[in-house]
Amino acid sequence: MPIKRSRSEKIFYGVIILLMIALMIVTAYPLLYVLFASFSNPVELMSNRGILTAPLGFSLAAYEAVMQNPMITIGYRNTLFYVIAGTSISLVLTIMGAYALSRKNVLWRNPIMFAIVFTMFFHGGMIPSYLLVGQTLGLQDSPLALIIPGAISTWNLIILKTAFESVPIALEEAARIDGANDFQILWNVCIPISLPAIAVITLFYAVAEWNAWFGAMLYLRNRELYPLQIVLREILITNSTEAMTTGVSSGDVLPIAETIKYATIVVATVPILFVYPFLQKYFVKGVMIGAIKE
Amino acid sequence: MDKLTRREFLRLSALTAGATVLAACAPQPAPTTAPTALPAATKAAATAAPTTAAATVAPTTAPAAAYPIVKEPLTLTYWVPATPNVMATLKTFGEMTCYKELEKKTGIRLEFQHPPMGQDTEQFNLVVASGKFPDIIERDWTTAPGGPAKYIKDGIILRLNDLIKQHAPNLNKVLADRPEWKRMIATDEGDIYCFPFLRSDPYLQTFAGLTLRGDWLDKLGLKVPTTIDEWRDVLVAFKTKDPNGNGKADEIGFNPWKDNSARGSFNMYAFVGAWGIGMNWFQDKGVVKYGPLQPEFKEFLKVMAQWFKEGLIDPDYITTNLAGLDAKITGNQIGVAMINTGSGIGKYVPLMQPKDPKFKLTAAPYPVLKAGDKPQLGQRDNAYAGQGSAAITTANKRVVETVKLLDYAYGAEGHILFNFGVEGLTYKMENGYPRYTDEITKNPQKLPMNQAMGKHFRSVFNGPFLQDRRYMEQYSALPEQQEAIKTWMQPSNEKQLPPITPTQEESRKFSTIMAEVTTRYDEAFNKILQGQLPIDAWDQFAKDIKQMGIDDAIKIQQAALDRYNKRP
Amino acid sequence: MATAQRVRSSVAAQSQLNFRQRLVKDFVRNRYIYLMLVPVVAYYVVFHYGPMYGALMAFQDFNVTKGIWGSPWIGFENFTTFFNSVYFTRLIRNTLAINIIELFFAFPAPIILALLLNEITSPAFKRTVQTITYLPHFVSLVVVIGMMVDFLARDGLVNNLIGAVGVAPIPFLQRADWYWWLFVGSGIWQGIGWGSIVYLAAITNIDPTLYEAATVDGANRWHQLRHITIPSIMPTIIIFLILRIGSMMSVGYEKTILMYNSMTYETADVINSYVYRKGVLNADYGFSAAVGLFNSVINFGLLLIANRLSKRVSEMGLF
Repeated sequence: MPIKRSRSEKIFYGVIILLMIALMIVTAYPLLYVLFASFSNPVELMSNRGILTAPLGFSLAAYEAVMQNPMITIGYRNTLFYVIAGTSISLVLTIMGAYALSRKNVLWRNPIMFAIVFTMFFHGGMIPSYLLVGQTLGLQDSPLALIIPGAISTWNLIILKTAFESVPIALEEAARIDGANDFQILWNVCIPISLPAIAVITLFYAVAEWNAWFGAMLYLRNRELYPLQIVLREILITNSTEAMTTGVSSGDVLPIAETIKYATIVVATVPILFVYPFLQKYFVKGVMIGAIKE
Repeated sequence: MDKLTRREFLRLSALTAGATVLAACAPQPAPTTAPTALPAATKAAATAAPTTAAATVAPTTAPAAAYPIVKEPLTLTYWVPATPNVMATLKTFGEMTCYKELEKKTGIRLEFQHPPMGQDTEQFNLVVASGKFPDIIERDWTTAPGGPAKYIKDGIILRLNDLIKQHAPNLNKVLADRPEWKRMIATDEGDIYCFPFLRSDPYLQTFAGLTLRGDWLDKLGLKVPTTIDEWRDVLVAFKTKDPNGNGKADEIGFNPWKDNSARGSFNMYAFVGAWGIGMNWFQDKGVVKYGPLQPEFKEFLKVMAQWFKEGLIDPDYITTNLAGLDAKITGNQIGVAMINTGSGIGKYVPLMQPKDPKFKLTAAPYPVLKAGDKPQLGQRDNAYAGQGSAAITTANKRVVETVKLLDYAYGAEGHILFNFGVEGLTYKMENGYPRYTDEITKNPQKLPMNQAMGKHFRSVFNGPFLQDRRYMEQYSALPEQQEAIKTWMQPSNEKQLPPITPTQEESRKFSTIMAEVTTRYDEAFNKILQGQLPIDAWDQFAKDIKQMGIDDAIKIQQAALDRYNKRP
Repeated sequence: MATAQRVRSSVAAQSQLNFRQRLVKDFVRNRYIYLMLVPVVAYYVVFHYGPMYGALMAFQDFNVTKGIWGSPWIGFENFTTFFNSVYFTRLIRNTLAINIIELFFAFPAPIILALLLNEITSPAFKRTVQTITYLPHFVSLVVVIGMMVDFLARDGLVNNLIGAVGVAPIPFLQRADWYWWLFVGSGIWQGIGWGSIVYLAAITNIDPTLYEAATVDGANRWHQLRHITIPSIMPTIIIFLILRIGSMMSVGYEKTILMYNSMTYETADVINSYVYRKGVLNADYGFSAAVGLFNSVINFGLLLIANRLSKRVSEMGLF
């Protein structure tokens, strides 16, 4: 990319840099707050109001409470499995669906697309879904119940379909002249060119699977299968004073209710954050198309 | 596969743990009758234990029960919401000492099913919708959609009257002794639907009240206020005389926050009770009344609006949350708030006293209008508040055995087991007083007392048994807590409603009306209190809710109360 | 454009054949494509259309113990209850107001961020900005609102800052006139980085030779942005705009019930929070389903209109 710039471009560039720095401060500070708060001394944090520029005192009490929970390793292990298995299945189905629905000369394309978008708006609700998956299909207390019912996100399907549609038609035709069938075109042309979009939906699927808890609530009775998010919710409830104020019991509650709220965010977020840098390299500009064309 | 091995493992660990327990209590056979008189015990007990034990209801074993209940091993499934006290350390209730003991005693194993915490209602609805019920379902049946009667009528749970009469001698005796409890746990038709959680004593039913900074009172030379006028004087002094001594007028008199409710502690009779009315439903000798429509209500609201105007009420109470209240109390800003014995006093006192030895929380009696009057209304749960009540489903194939099993907790042995655990392990009998051991009070793994208790028995939360007063005497052991319970117990609470239930048809209409009314009520109340609307806007509000159908709602409540009073 | 023409001419050729012949021809030619669609269609049929009978609850006094087939039918009573609510007009007004503000501010925000990020030449700086701005997406709403309460309190950070320039403290979260802006603003804060990812990917897909050619022609950055970058990501923008218009009747109840209070109900209460208070807390599934159906019909109708308009104007659409 040529670097030579005019004066007005330099000013333009400078303004962008300043804007970005401002944005980073605004978005980063609250997260630092979460981090500082999670390491703070719970008692000091309790009487603090307003900004934090470093942990108040230092305490690992909240993290100890999280890590001591008998379910925490089970939760991590299960979630890791759900993320890997779920994302893989989702990707395969979504890529096939998006490819098929991005082909313009398919007779049933629009009716099928209409029927799919229809499901974004109309659904039967919690109880019929539960009866179907948990009872009719017999997936209660099966890891599949957390993977299959949400395997395709229509939203992601549309993102990928849009990306496949923007693949230059010339590339596709060239491949077809060479005798490639649709599977080969998908594999050799569309996927390599659309890697950025695939990276995006991989991220979306992985994060959604990581954060999922509702399916577990519906379909799991066996605590050994709980994903991390359910475990963390329970830890939060276990340590929150509010859970006990209205109840019968009046307890000597540890004052870590606040810090643990922040610690669970850190514990729940840090691992999934590592996914992003791996996918970020696919956002490097223009690599894909150039590579294919040559 | 996985499930099997896990079950095997659990059984094994239960066995080994059971063996240790057995060894521990072998020399002293478990007591067969619970004592009814309190001993003059140690010094700690003198502060902890109140003077009389007359109110403590501890059942004696009725003759008919024989254990074990079954010769062949029997496993029953038991659905019950998980609770923080237990789940902090255990995976299921099945690992609790009391259930391991229960299995040894009765021969019946319970396989627990817990919904994820916080999802009880949804999961319960799914269990019902699926048509595949566990053998026992424990929950708050009074809040089950449609009310308990519906679940008997629709064939989900069993009517227990005859079963209890024939096979549950212990519960039968408890109910015979206290007919008012029997009325609470039955439907309007007189059907008993559960093995209830019962709190026998107002001492156990009272857990919240107005609390002042006692050290501020001392510093300013004030005494604990009783009348509304005295309260105002105290609040003015708190605000203007710098009781926290930092030279700034940053003190706030009263923060009405309570449990994120839009009407805060007023909903639990703070101040409003002085006018002899409540914020919601109450009764006057059998006549149902709705608080905001009473003429006294406007008087009360006028005073509160005046206090707000004078700066005696925290102007930010509406956006206060628990963290905010904690910050303002521990930051020496709030003089008065309504807090709980355990999660309030039990939290702040141990936290603040090491830093500030003068820090003191003083419980105040519920306010009155005229000096010398007795407070009429205050926070107090009904003896049967609904939670922790076990029903037997129609899917249960061993009903008689289940009844016998659940009945065990209401006998003398079971009573001790569920309230205090196992002798030698979790309590020691000292002159007939079951005193918790260090396992509970100074747990070796440094567990807080509620979690240490939750590992072993259920008195620290709820369940199908009779809660024992002596649990609370040892649990709320701080002198401030003991004092608070006694102070807050004072109101006679004759005006409180018993646990009434509308019929299914009524309940639909009632909730439709009240959903509309409540929103308008929250808005009008807070806007007038904060001076954004004049006090006369209250008359308009009263007109509005009449249009929304409040009169019908009152009729529904009245009918429900009439039916309740006619219950056999 | 060429593609569109080709498709149209082939469609025209096909219309000469009768329907059955066209079906057969299509299935033969696109056999692999239909093979790929089999699992996808099966998924939607089983998991989405299978439970759809549940929408019938909207016409019932639904009762879990009796289920869909046993609960009493009550016609449109759930709907009329909703329409007759004294709060109905204000619920619709607030829901639409928040959505319109979001459409004008929250919808373009991630697009602008993506475009600005694209102008940054230092990859390290770009990555840092991306990584940091997408973090708030992972903070739970409870914590986001908790921080807002702290920062916006009368003695909080924001009031301290504006106090420094002599503005009297504003109790933001108790003020009905601030609510919409705080609701949308916090949403932008939380979603801007995450939302920009899709657009960044679309920008990445642009053929770099286009820029090279433009530079040769003497186009400056601004021209490139206007004539290459924006048109290239337009399909993505339009698709998302259509989908966004299809959710004009929805405002998340979770955030609303965390953020509102009785002083701000006037502007804060939306359809979903009302349903939450009335339907979910009382386990009135029939009522929730009825309001859900009402919302869906309007949302879907809006989506169809937006899709139709878009096809006419830009030849792009969902189907």
